[in-house]
Amino acid sequence: MIPERYCITIKSGNRSIVKCDDFGVGWEKINFLFGESGIGKSLLCKAVYGLLDRDELDIAVNGETYEKHCSDTLTNDIKRSGFFVFQEPSSHFNPLLRIREQLSEGSLSRRQVLDDSVRRLFENSDDKAIQKILDLYPKPFRPSGGEKQRMLLAMAFKKIDSFLESKKEDRNAVFVFDEPTGSLDNNYRNLFLSLLLEKYAQKPFTALFITHDYSIISRIHTHHKNLLSHVCFKELSRKTDTLVELHDFSSVEYLKWLDASRPPRYEQPSRQKPVLSAQANFSIFGRSYTICKDEARTIPARLTIGKGEMVYIKAASGVGKTTLAKIIMGLYRAQRFSMTLSGIDATHETPNSVWAKRIWGKKAGMVFQHADEALDLAITIRETFQGLPLAHKLNSDDIKNALAQLFDRESLTDAFLKRKVAYLSGGQKQRLNLLRTLILNTDLIILDEPLNGLDFLGVKRVLGMLEEKRRAGSSILLISHNEEIFDSLIDRERIYYLA
Amino acid sequence: MLSLRNKDVRWAFIWLVTTAIIAVWDILFLNKPALKLVVAGFFNTFIIAFLVIFVTLLMGWMATLGLHYLQEGKHKTGYLLLNFFFNLIRSVPQVIGILLGYVAVGMCIQQGLVHSGFAIFALLSFCMGLFIFLEMADCMWERIDHYQKLDFYNAMRVCGVSQSRIINFNILWKNSRIHIFNKLISVMGIAVFLQCSVDFIISVGLSTQANQVTLPTTLGNLLANLDSKQDILAVGNTLTHPLYFPHLFFEHLQGLTVAFLIVFSLLCIHNIANGYAERHRL
Amino acid sequence: MKSKLLVHGASILFVSLTLLIALAWIGSRSGVTEASVRSTLAAASFADLSNPFQKALFSDAMNIFYPGQFDKNKAEVSHLADAQEKALRDKLENSSEKEGLTLGAWTRILGMYIKFIIVYVLVMLLTYYGVQTLGAWRFCRKKSHDEQGAGSFPTMVLKSLKKAALFIATFILFCPAYVIAYSLRTELNTDTVFFMIVLCVISNGLLMVYSNKFFAFLTAESRKGYVETALAKNLKSSYSQRTPDGISYRALIAPIKRFNGHVFDAIFRNARGQYLSTIKEQASFLISGMIITEMALNLHGYLSYELFRQMLYGNAAIVIVMILGIYYLVKATEIFTDFLVYREERKYEN
Repeated sequence: MIPERYCITIKSGNRSIVKCDDFGVGWEKINFLFGESGIGKSLLCKAVYGLLDRDELDIAVNGETYEKHCSDTLTNDIKRSGFFVFQEPSSHFNPLLRIREQLSEGSLSRRQVLDDSVRRLFENSDDKAIQKILDLYPKPFRPSGGEKQRMLLAMAFKKIDSFLESKKEDRNAVFVFDEPTGSLDNNYRNLFLSLLLEKYAQKPFTALFITHDYSIISRIHTHHKNLLSHVCFKELSRKTDTLVELHDFSSVEYLKWLDASRPPRYEQPSRQKPVLSAQANFSIFGRSYTICKDEARTIPARLTIGKGEMVYIKAASGVGKTTLAKIIMGLYRAQRFSMTLSGIDATHETPNSVWAKRIWGKKAGMVFQHADEALDLAITIRETFQGLPLAHKLNSDDIKNALAQLFDRESLTDAFLKRKVAYLSGGQKQRLNLLRTLILNTDLIILDEPLNGLDFLGVKRVLGMLEEKRRAGSSILLISHNEEIFDSLIDRERIYYLA
Repeated sequence: MLSLRNKDVRWAFIWLVTTAIIAVWDILFLNKPALKLVVAGFFNTFIIAFLVIFVTLLMGWMATLGLHYLQEGKHKTGYLLLNFFFNLIRSVPQVIGILLGYVAVGMCIQQGLVHSGFAIFALLSFCMGLFIFLEMADCMWERIDHYQKLDFYNAMRVCGVSQSRIINFNILWKNSRIHIFNKLISVMGIAVFLQCSVDFIISVGLSTQANQVTLPTTLGNLLANLDSKQDILAVGNTLTHPLYFPHLFFEHLQGLTVAFLIVFSLLCIHNIANGYAERHRL
Repeated sequence: MKSKLLVHGASILFVSLTLLIALAWIGSRSGVTEASVRSTLAAASFADLSNPFQKALFSDAMNIFYPGQFDKNKAEVSHLADAQEKALRDKLENSSEKEGLTLGAWTRILGMYIKFIIVYVLVMLLTYYGVQTLGAWRFCRKKSHDEQGAGSFPTMVLKSLKKAALFIATFILFCPAYVIAYSLRTELNTDTVFFMIVLCVISNGLLMVYSNKFFAFLTAESRKGYVETALAKNLKSSYSQRTPDGISYRALIAPIKRFNGHVFDAIFRNARGQYLSTIKEQASFLISGMIITEMALNLHGYLSYELFRQMLYGNAAIVIVMILGIYYLVKATEIFTDFLVYREERKYEN
C-alpha cells in the first residue's frame, strides 16, 4: 500500500534542488497537483515512481537511499502496474521507431495497438487516418504536438486497461500525468478527462495529475460532480528557496474568483488611429489563414487594436496563433501581408533594418511562450535588463522597482539581482520574462501564453499588472489557451478567431 | 570549483607533478647539453601550442562572425564564397598543410625575411592555426545556430537588444564559453600532436630550407635526433631483455624523457578535456 | 543531398583545375630552370678552379684587373671555387632524383596510392567497430555499478591491477605511431602492411578520441525524454554484465550490436546516427595519422614517404599529383559520409 506521506530530498552535488517533508498522495483518488512551474512537482513524482537517475542526483526517500527505494517491492509494483506520462511529448518519442512500434513495446506489447482508448482519443479521425498517424516516425511537426500527446496518453490508457482487466487486487497502481493537456485544445482536454474519470469509475486507481490548467476545476465541478469526493486538489508551494510544502487547494475559492472576474470598461471609442491594424487574410509556409470576428469563423475582419485595448486571439492548438504573432513582429514574412503599427506601414518586404531600428523594443514588444527558451539562463537577473533600448541605463533601484510589480519586495535584495536566471523557479522565470518586455513601455505588447507556469497567486498578480498597463495606455494582444480565464476578462467585441 | 575531486583539475595536477619529478630526475642524471635541449624543446613546444590556441580562437571567432553577418545580411554570394574557401581548407589533411607551411617558413628564415625568435614562433603558430581554426569556428557556429533555433534569439531581438550583443555576449560569452574553453583544450592537444609529428618528419630531413638549424628546438625534432632514436630503440630491446629495464632511466634518459613527455602530455590534455566536459555536462 | 553534391563537385572542379594549371606551369618552367642553372655554371666554365694551376692563373688575372685588393680577390676566387664544387656535387647527387611525370612514375604512384587506400579503408572499418565497442563498453560499465560494493583486499588488489592495466593501455593508445614503431623496430619488421594497419588503429589517439566522442553521444542520448518513456514501459534497464536482464559482453563485442528489449538499444541506435556525421572528421584525422606514420618511419614504397621524398627533391609535378590523389580520397570520404547520413535520415522520414 502506498504510504500516506513521503519525505523526499533531492540534491545535485552540494546544491539542494528540492525538499518536501510531507509529499502525500490521495490513495485510490484522482489527485490534481497545482503549483508554479519549476517548483519540483515532476521531480517529486519521479522520485516516488523510481525514475530519477541516481548517478546524476543525490536522492533520499523517507530517510533511505534512492537505490534502496528503487529496489523496494512497493516501488517495483508501482512501476510494473502504473505508467508515467511525461511533459513535452515531442522529446518523449524515439525518433527511430514508428509510433505503432512505440505503442507496442515493453509492457504494452500484450495490448492491441489500435484499441478503443486510441479511437476515443482520436474521435475526429477514422481508423484509416489513425493508422496513418501510427505509421509515422515522430518528427518535429508531424505528428503534431497534440497528436503526440494523445499517443502518450494512449500508452497510459493501455496500462489502465490492463489494470482494469486484471483479476488480481492491485492496490499499488499509480498513474502519473505530467502536464498532459499542455498540447491539447479544450475539446481534447475534456475528452481525456472524461475518459480518465470513466475508467476510474470502473475500478478506482491512484492518479496524479500535474497541471497549470485551472479550468479543469470548473470542468469537474460542472460535468463530473458525482466524482468530486474521489478528487483531491492540491498545491505545492514554496516555504523557502528549496523547501516546499503540499497543501490543499481550494477549488471553491478559484470558482468564486472566476465568477467575480469582469471585462474592463472602456471609454467612448477613441478617434485616434488604432495602434495595430492588420489585414485579415495572409498565407505562410503553404497555408492560408483568416482572422475572423465570429466564432463560426465565417466573417473575415482586419485585426484592429486601439490604444489601451486588450484583444484576445483564439484558435485551437497548433492552428497558428504564435505564427501570427511572429508575423506581426516581423520575425516571419507572410506572403501578401500588410499592417500598420503605430503609424509605421509594414509589409512582407519591409527590410530587417526597419524592424530593428524603429519597431523592436520601441513600438512593439513580445513575450514568448516558454520562459526557459526566451530568457538567457546563463546571465543574472540584473543582466537581463541590460542591453535594452531604454532612455537611460537602469540602476539597481530601477530594476527592483520594476520587479516589485510581480515579485515580493522583501525578496528583492542585491543578492537576488545577482542570481542566475537558471536558478529561478519556472514561475519566477515567467514573471521575469514578462517584466523584461513590459519595462520597455511599447505601444503594443504581444503576450503569448502569459500565464504559463504560474500558480494561482501568480496568475492574479499578472492579470492585475496587465490591467494596470492597459489603463496606462498600452495596447495588448493576448494569445492563450486559458480561455476560461480570458473569456471572463475580455469583452466579446475584442475577441478574434483565427482560422 | 577547483578541487582535486574534479577529474580535469586532478589530471592537470598529475601532469604538473609528474613533469616536475621528471625535471628533477633529469637534473640529477641527464648530461647538461642534453638537459638544455630537453628544457628548450619542452618550453618551445608549449609556447607554440599556446600561441596556436590564441590564433585559433581569434581566427575562429572572426570566421564565425564573418559567416553569420554575411548570412544575416543576405549576401549570398559572399557567404557561399567564404564557405567554399573554408571547405577547401577542411579538405586539406592538416599535416600536409602544416608541412608546406613549415617549408615556407624555413625558406623565409633562410632568405633573411624573418629574424626574431618570436616572429618565427608566431609564423609557425599561424601555419598550424590556419588548419585548426575551423574546428573552433564550427564549435562557435554550432552554438549560434542552436540558440537561433530557440526563442532565445528572437525574444531578445524583439526586445530591441542588438544582434552583436546577443551573438557575442549572450551566446558566445555567457552560454558557450565553457564549450569554447573545452575546444581550446582539445586544440592544445591537437597542436602538440601535430607540432611533434611535423617537427619529427622535418627533422628526418624534409628539406634543406626547413631544418633544425632554422626552426626552434621542440620535443618533436628532439625525438628525431639520433640519440633519442637510439634511446627509443632501447625501450623495445627491454621487451626481450627485461633485466635491461633499469638502465633506461640512466643511460637512455634523453629519448625516454622526450617520448614520455610527448605521450604523457597528450594523455593528460585528453583527460583534462574529458574531465572538464563531464564536470560541465557538455 | 543534391545541394551537398553540388558543393562537393564545385570544390573538386576548383581544386583539380588549380592544381592541373600549376602542373602545366611547372612543366613549362622546368626547361627554363635547367637552362638558367646551366648558364650560371657556364659563366665560370672557362676556368676549372679545382685545378691548382688554373686557380692560380685566375687569381693573378683578378689581381691585375682589380689591383690593391689582394685579400678580397683571394676570397672571391675561393668562394667561386667552392660554388663550382657545390654545383657539381649537387648535380651529381640529384641528377638521378630529378624526374618528371613519366609512365614509370605514374605506375609507381598508382600502386602506392592503391595500397594507401586499402590500408585506409581497413583501418576505417576497424576503428568504426572499435570506437562503438569501446564507447558502449565504457558506458555500460559506468551505468552498471558492478564494481561498487565489497572492498575486500583481493578485490581491491584486482581493482588496482585493472586500473593500472587500463592506464598502460590508454598510454599506448595515445602514443604517436612513430614512438611505438621505433620502440619495436629491433624486435619486429615494422615495414609490413599488417603492422601499418595495426599501428594506425592503435596509435595517435584515434581510438581513444573517437570512442570518447561516442561515449559522449551515448551519455547525451541517455538523458533524453524517450528513455524515460521506455523506462515507464518497463523495458529492461540493468546494465550489469552479470545478470540475465543486463547487457552481455557478447552483445557488446558483436559486430552488429543489438540489445533487444533493453533501453540501451534505443540509446545506442540514436547515438550511432550522430556518430555517422563525425566520420568525416575521423577520416581526416586518420589520413593525417597515416601520412605522419609513413613519413616519420621512412617506409619505402608507401605513398606518404614517396610524397616526402619528392618534396625533398623538388619534383613539384609528382608532388602535385600525389596531393591531388589524397585530396580526392578525402573528398570521396566526405561524399560517402554525406550519402550515409542522407540515407539514414531518409530511412526515418515520413
